[in-house]
Amino acid sequence: MANKTTTPSSSEGLAEAEKVTVTIDGREVAVPRGSLVVDAASSLGIHIPIYCAHPKLDPVAVCRMCLVRVGKMPRLQPACATVVSDGMVVTTQSPEVAKVREGMLEFLLLNHPLDCPVCDRGGECDLQDFAVRYGPQTSRFPITQKSHAAKAVVLSDKIELDQERCILCWRCTRYYDEITGEKELVLVRRGIDTVIDSFNGEPLTSDFQGNLPEVCPVGALTHRQYRFQARPWDLQRTKGICPECSYGCNINIDARDFEIKRFASRDNPQVEDMWLCDRGRYSVEKWSHGSRVRHPLIRAGGEVREVGVDEAVAEAARQLGEVLRLHGGGAIGVIGSPMLTNEELWLLQRLARETLDCHNCDHQLDELGNVSADEHSLGIAEIEDCETVVVLGAEPEANTPVLTLRLHKAQLRRGVEVRRVEHDASPASLGIKGKRLVGVIADEVHRAYAADMADALASGNTLVKRLTVTRGVNGRGAKDMGMLPTQGPGYSRVTGGKDGRQILHAASAGAIKALLLVGAETVLRGAGILAEKALAKVDVIIAIEPRAGIVANAASVVIPGHTYFEKRGSVTNVEGRVQRVSPALPPATAAPQETRVLAMLAAALGATGWGTGDPFEVNTMLSQAIDAYRGAGNGGRALWKRQGEPR
Amino acid sequence: MFKEIIKGMAITLRYGLSRPITVQWPEEQKPATPRHRGRHILHRYYNGLEKCIGCELCAAACPVGCIYVGPAENDPLNPVSPGERYAKRYEINLMRCIFCGYCASACPTEAITLGPQCDFANYRRERTVLTKQELLEAWPKFERSRGDMNQRGAGADQRSTGKSLNPGPSPRLAWEAQADETHEAPLPGHGGIPVNVPGVIDPSEESRA
Ligand code: SF4
Ligand code: SF4
Ligand code: SF4
Ligand code: FES
Repeated sequence: MANKTTTPSSSEGLAEAEKVTVTIDGREVAVPRGSLVVDAASSLGIHIPIYCAHPKLDPVAVCRMCLVRVGKMPRLQPACATVVSDGMVVTTQSPEVAKVREGMLEFLLLNHPLDCPVCDRGGECDLQDFAVRYGPQTSRFPITQKSHAAKAVVLSDKIELDQERCILCWRCTRYYDEITGEKELVLVRRGIDTVIDSFNGEPLTSDFQGNLPEVCPVGALTHRQYRFQARPWDLQRTKGICPECSYGCNINIDARDFEIKRFASRDNPQVEDMWLCDRGRYSVEKWSHGSRVRHPLIRAGGEVREVGVDEAVAEAARQLGEVLRLHGGGAIGVIGSPMLTNEELWLLQRLARETLDCHNCDHQLDELGNVSADEHSLGIAEIEDCETVVVLGAEPEANTPVLTLRLHKAQLRRGVEVRRVEHDASPASLGIKGKRLVGVIADEVHRAYAADMADALASGNTLVKRLTVTRGVNGRGAKDMGMLPTQGPGYSRVTGGKDGRQILHAASAGAIKALLLVGAETVLRGAGILAEKALAKVDVIIAIEPRAGIVANAASVVIPGHTYFEKRGSVTNVEGRVQRVSPALPPATAAPQETRVLAMLAAALGATGWGTGDPFEVNTMLSQAIDAYRGAGNGGRALWKRQGEPR
Repeated sequence: MFKEIIKGMAITLRYGLSRPITVQWPEEQKPATPRHRGRHILHRYYNGLEKCIGCELCAAACPVGCIYVGPAENDPLNPVSPGERYAKRYEINLMRCIFCGYCASACPTEAITLGPQCDFANYRRERTVLTKQELLEAWPKFERSRGDMNQRGAGADQRSTGKSLNPGPSPRLAWEAQADETHEAPLPGHGGIPVNVPGVIDPSEESRA
C-alpha cells in the first residue's frame, strides 16, 4: 500500500532503482520502476490535473480527476494510482480524456458556491485553475439550485472550514492519518450530504493544523491568521528559514506592504518535508509589530543624542578602547544571540577574541556542557535510515515540533523503532543490540546524557549518530562559529572566558566594565533582574539592537540593528545544514547591516584585514576559516570529522 | 476671390454673434453624460450595507495599479457588507487612474462605478488619493447626497430620481451617524474634499512603528 517511491525519504533509495520506459502522448521517458503515471508525466512536463493525489500522501484515487487512457485497458485509469510498467502507452490528451475532465469538473462545480471573490484561496486554487484550463466554460445547472452546507465553521483558533467549498478529496483526513497520526477530521454523513467535520465536533488540538490549508486543494480549509489578509498576487515572496526554532524549516515569507502576512511551506525533503508546525507558521504577527530603534544614539550624562552611524561607531570604538587600555580585555563582556546569522556571529567572536582580546563571549546565558561536532552527526532525513532512534525526554520534540512528524514518518514508512525514554534511562535497559545505525536525539541541556547513551550503545557493528536540538534559529551556527566562552570557531579549545550569566554577574559586581551586546535583548530578558542590575551598573554598553527595550534604554551607544527578516546571511540548523536567508522586509533603519557595523567597529579599533563586512564576503572568509563550512554552500550540511573516524 | 472673403467673414460673424458654447466653469456646471467615466463611487445597498466585499478584483484588473484594497473580516453581528468579507481600506490614486473603467467591469457586486465628477486638481498631492470614506456613497441621507450640488459625486448620475428612499433599519446606525457628520459639509473650493483628509498613511509607519 505504502508507495515509497512517491515520497523519497533520503537521497539514497532512488539512485539504484531500476528504470522502465513508458510512452506518454507519444514521448518516451525512462522512470524508476514503481513510479506513478502522474509523476512520469510530470517528468515530461505533461500536466495531469489531480485533486486527491498528493506527493506526500498515499494514492486513494477518489476524485477521478486524473483519468487517462492507459494502453488497451477497457476504461480510463486514474494516473495518480496507476503504477508504470515497461512499454506502457499513456494518452493524456485526447477528446475522450478532455470530455471526462470536463465532466468531472462540471460535477465538482455543481454545488460549489460562487465564493471566489471572498475566498482566501482565490488566485491560487486548483479548482479555479483546472476549471479554467480543463473545465466546461459554462454551467448547465441553475445557480439557485445549489445545495448548501455550513460556511465559516471555526474548527479551532487556527483553522476555519467552509463545508460548501470542499470537494471531498480526503486529503485532510489522510494528512491526519498518514502525516501526524492524529485523527481529528472525519467525513460525516453519506452521499450528496457528505461533509468534512472535526471528530465529534470537537475543536482541533493538533500542533500541525497549519498544514491543512496547504494540503486542501481548494479554499475549504483556511488559516484564521491569514483570513482576508491579502490576495496571492499582492504578496511578495521571499525564500527564508522559519524563525521559531533551530530545525531550519524552509519557508516562503509572503509579505504585503512591508508586513509579513503569512509563512508558507517550501518543500525541502531533507528538512521539514513540507510540513510546518503551528508555532512557527503562526509566529507571523511578532515580526510586524514592536517598536524599533531607528537612529544611532549616544547617551551621555543622562542625555540622549541622535547621531550618524560613523559617529556612533567612532564613539563606541573610543569607549571600548579606553576600557581595553585601562582594564584589559578581561573587563569586557560580549553577548550575541542565536537569532544572529553565521556571518554576524563569526565577526562578533572575531572582534571579541582578536581585537578586544576578550574571551567572555557567549550567545546564550548558560554554557550547557561541552559542545562538540559529534553531537549533530545525525541528519534529519537520516532518521529514516536508522533502525532505532532513541529520543531523550520530551524537550527535543517540544523545541522542534516538526521532528515529531519526521519520527512518525520514519516509523510508519520505514519501520524505524522510535524509543522515547527518560533523560537518564540506562542504555542497558533499552535492550538495543545488534543494530547497524542507531540515532540518539536529545536537547542541548541534556547533551551529556546523550553522549553517555551514545557511548554505551556504540559497539563493533553499531554506528551511533547523535542529533542535539539547539535553541534559537541559529543556535547551532552560534556554536559552529565559536560564539562560546570556551570554544572558538570549529569547536577549537580556547582560553576560557565567562558565559552569558557569568558575564552579567561580573558586570553587576563591577568586574566587567564594558558590554558589547549584539541583538542580545531577548537573551538578556531571560536573565530578568540580573540583566537589569548589570545594565544599570556598567557604564560602557555598546548595543547593536533592532528593538527598543532594556538594552537600548541602558546602552551608552546604540546602533540600530536589523531583525531576522531584514538581513542577509546564513543560518545553520540542528543537523548543521547551512541555509541562506535574505531580507523579506525593507530595513526599518538606514544603518548598515550588523556585519558591516562590526567591520567598521573593528577598523575603528585599529584592526586591519576585515574588508567591508559585506555578508557574502564574510561568508567566504568564514568558510575558509572553518573547514566544515567550505563545502556546505547554500542548503548543504556542514560535515565535521567525527572523533576517531576519518570522513 | 471677393466672394470667398465675404463667405469666410460671414461664418466668423455668424459665430461671433451666436451664443457661445463655453460655460463659466466652475460656477456653471454641465451635466455629465450618463456613462461618463469620472471620479469613482463606492455604492451601498438600500439597507446601508456596502456593496464592496473587499475582493480586490478591481485592484487586479486595474492596468495602472492605482487601487489599494485592504480586506478584513466582518463582525457577523455588525457587518459592514453582506457576507464574510469587506474592504477595511479602499484607496484610489486619482492621479494615476486612466479612467478606463476596468475596475467597474471587474467588480462582481457592482460596488464600484465611475461617476460624473472630473475636476480633481488639488494643492495637496495626498488629497488626490481618495480614501474609502470619500469614495463611499453617503447614507442614510440619500436624497441630499444625490442633489445637484453634491460635489462628492456620490451616485449623482446613477439614480437621479430625486425620490427619497427610506433606508430602513440598519445594524450600523452608530457608524453611519458619525459618517454622516463628515459627509455633512463639503468645503467649497476643494472639489468637495474636506481639508482635513487623512493623508496617505505610510503602511510601514502604521504597522511597524
Ligand atoms: S476540506 Fe479540502 S482537503 Fe479536506 S476533503 Fe475537502 S477539499 Fe479535500
Ligand atoms: S478606471 Fe481604470 S485606471 Fe482607474 S481605477 Fe479603474 S481600472 Fe484603474
Ligand atoms: S469594488 Fe468590487 S471588485 Fe473592488 S474590492 Fe470591492 S467588491 Fe471587489
Ligand atoms: S487525483 Fe487521481 S483520482 Fe484523484
